[in-house]
Amino acid sequence: MVSASSVGYYLFHPQELRSIIQWKVWHNPVHERDETKESETLQRCFHFLDLTSRSFSAVIKELHPDLLVPVALFYLVLRGLDTIEDDMTIPLEKKEPILRNFQDLLEKDGWTFTENGPNEKDRQLLVEFNVVIEEFKKIKPEYKVIIKDITKRMGNGMADYANNAEHNINGVNTIKDYELYCHYVAGLVGEGCTRLFVEAGLANPVLLKRPELMESMGQFLQQVNIIRDIKEDIDDKRRFWPKEIWSKHVAKFEDLFEPENKEKALACSSEMILTCLNRADDCLYYLAGLKEQSVFNFCAIPQSMAIATLDVCFQNHDIFKKNVKITKGQACQLMLESSQNLKLVCDVFQRFTRSIHKKNNPHDPNFLKISIACGKIEQFIESIFPSQKKPEGAAGVPVMTAEEAAKKKAEEQEAKWDMIYMIMAVVITLVVITSSMLFVAWLAGARFDLAFGQAKQQLGELFGSGSDAKNTIAPSSDHSEL
Amino acid sequence: MAALPEVPSLGKVLVIGGCGFLGSHIVSLIVKRHPQSQIAVLDLRTNLNRNASPIVSYHDCDITNLDAVQSVFATVKPDVVIHTASPHFNAKSEIHNKVNVEGTKILLKAAQDSKVKAFVYTSSASVVLDPTRELVNADETWPLVMGDRQPEYYTTTKAYAEIAVLEANRTPSDFLTCAIRPAGIFGEGDVQLLPKMVTAFRKGQTKFQVGQNNNLFDFTYVENIAHGHLLAAQALLHTHSILPTVPLDSERVDGEAFFITNGQPVYFWDFARAVWHEAGDRLPLSSVWHLSDDVAWAIGTLLESVFWVLGKTPNLTRAQVRYSTMTKYHSIEKARRRLGFAPVVGLDEGIRRGVGYILEQEEKEKQKKGQ
Repeated sequence: MVSASSVGYYLFHPQELRSIIQWKVWHNPVHERDETKESETLQRCFHFLDLTSRSFSAVIKELHPDLLVPVALFYLVLRGLDTIEDDMTIPLEKKEPILRNFQDLLEKDGWTFTENGPNEKDRQLLVEFNVVIEEFKKIKPEYKVIIKDITKRMGNGMADYANNAEHNINGVNTIKDYELYCHYVAGLVGEGCTRLFVEAGLANPVLLKRPELMESMGQFLQQVNIIRDIKEDIDDKRRFWPKEIWSKHVAKFEDLFEPENKEKALACSSEMILTCLNRADDCLYYLAGLKEQSVFNFCAIPQSMAIATLDVCFQNHDIFKKNVKITKGQACQLMLESSQNLKLVCDVFQRFTRSIHKKNNPHDPNFLKISIACGKIEQFIESIFPSQKKPEGAAGVPVMTAEEAAKKKAEEQEAKWDMIYMIMAVVITLVVITSSMLFVAWLAGARFDLAFGQAKQQLGELFGSGSDAKNTIAPSSDHSEL
Repeated sequence: MAALPEVPSLGKVLVIGGCGFLGSHIVSLIVKRHPQSQIAVLDLRTNLNRNASPIVSYHDCDITNLDAVQSVFATVKPDVVIHTASPHFNAKSEIHNKVNVEGTKILLKAAQDSKVKAFVYTSSASVVLDPTRELVNADETWPLVMGDRQPEYYTTTKAYAEIAVLEANRTPSDFLTCAIRPAGIFGEGDVQLLPKMVTAFRKGQTKFQVGQNNNLFDFTYVENIAHGHLLAAQALLHTHSILPTVPLDSERVDGEAFFITNGQPVYFWDFARAVWHEAGDRLPLSSVWHLSDDVAWAIGTLLESVFWVLGKTPNLTRAQVRYSTMTKYHSIEKARRRLGFAPVVGLDEGIRRGVGYILEQEEKEKQKKGQ
């Protein structure tokens, strides 16, 4: 497993190696699934989860027990749908009805699909899809409604694209089309997950009233993937970068990959990254609405990975030549930082935002817009975690004007004398009252001379014994003999 | 507050300093947006930046002269006063005090005596700027910084005037006031920001950059500030129309101050580089020398002392080092909510217009010389 090159890499990046070790050794899952209580079909489902997704299965398996199975099944259902949509060996007449009715197939006992091409990597999931259906039966009806609704809308969206001949030949046309495509494949997932979280009582219901936030969660992840996978997709003859963007920079999409067009390709990728970056503050806002740690981790980890990926892709011409990725060490570091609290995730976002800003090229057509997008993220973070304490002084109360300053000084002077008069008045009153009382007592025959003498004696004893007590015990016993 | 409905007229509007940089933009925006208004401009000299529209009249007047001011008010009988007049930042202290503080008080008196409904004052975002701290997303709850804590006398006088204006609110009860605090104003006709940056480019100073450039800064295109003033005037007129009802505290505009910016804080040097690019700079980022704050400060100190002996100002001063490395941006949430403010021109478009204007002027100069 460990290649010579990676040994070399970590030799020079011990910090990243440290992160990997820390993650492996110290990370405690918030929740752990209990395999002993799971049915055979459920175990099979988790087996497929591991097979179909490396990055997601780890965070899904740590989810809160109420959400563990529904989210895992939701993932597998969408993966199944995706496997049908992706497979170009299935004729359209066959594909379309399956995509459009997939939500009903979820309740068809024992349904499986064996007609995927042999190269489809997740074909086995559909071959044994009956296990997913079996488990789907057992979850709470409220969860079923949500999963079916999203499946239906996504399946229909995919079918529309599959039917759209123009899309199949030329790829995505306008930015609006591009965002609509991302909505079907990712924005809807954001909505589905949010509804599941809220249903389980683990997220703030307000999130459902701000649909643009959950949309951005999905869009951000999907757009980053589309930017990063540009080379892989063109090799598979797929195009997701919208023509509206690339046509500003090159005449033909393929021109982006010509070495002599490096500057233009970079400018084009910057514009793609800008479109994506404008969603980042929404994602942080969304994360602020999550209540439970495992749900937070589930959502925050992919977002942190996404902004880190955006940073490695920014102003990096390699994305047109090969698959660019963040290293395993960075990924572990990000998982550590994103499985704690919003503040740390904001720090991650700020770090990568500044890294993007540092590489921003002043001669790029979108230079200032990118700077503004970075500023917007920083300002948003500042609005939830202010770095500065507001200076003391009440709201907007002026310190004072020149004439007021003079007036106030005079007032203070006056106030000072007022205070002196007040104290004098109090003292005089007390003296008058005390002396008149004493005088009345004297008239009534009080013997102040005796009282004074006695008081003196007692005080003397008090101080005498007091001071002796501080010395040794012996002299004090002498005193008691007196 | 939701967006205000279209208002064809603001009534009779008196723009003090309407021949200045911001004032003339305010006049054009009223002409464009509220064409049924009547505009009177009061300025010390009214020969510059005149608007050709027939709805604008011009009145030469010194705002430090109460009699003269009162006679203009008697002629114009304004419903709305927008007071943008201010001396140049580098003017003498006495002038700042006389115009900003005394002048504003005279205008307030004249307005209070002549049934003016709304009085909008152009303050400055720097009234909350303390020399010892940065401004990170500052809002209007920050205290004013003036007197011995404020090294810039200009700013102190702006703050005094703002206090006077806001204290005059509702005295008499149908006289409403508010203050607009713009930050980092630039645009066509600006004499401070863009011309200096373009000159720096011509001198080859784009090769240097001081500090980390992580400091966000507010720059505001002039039309957005004009827009903020008009929204404020409209809001005051609206409040006036519902008198004696007083709006909720959270919706109130009268007696309040508002930061107005582009709502797009950017890293300081990014703004400069965008301006330079627009002016023709093509220097790649990799060829830029990055000076740390401390080194730049030391050089600035050294240069300043050497140039002091020579009686000149160097290209790099400590004040510039501070300004280019400090964070200074504001929250405009209050203006968004209470005025319905949203910038109408983006930062990049603003730079395009502002630098385009400078290049155009230069071209005209050249042609004149050539003839």
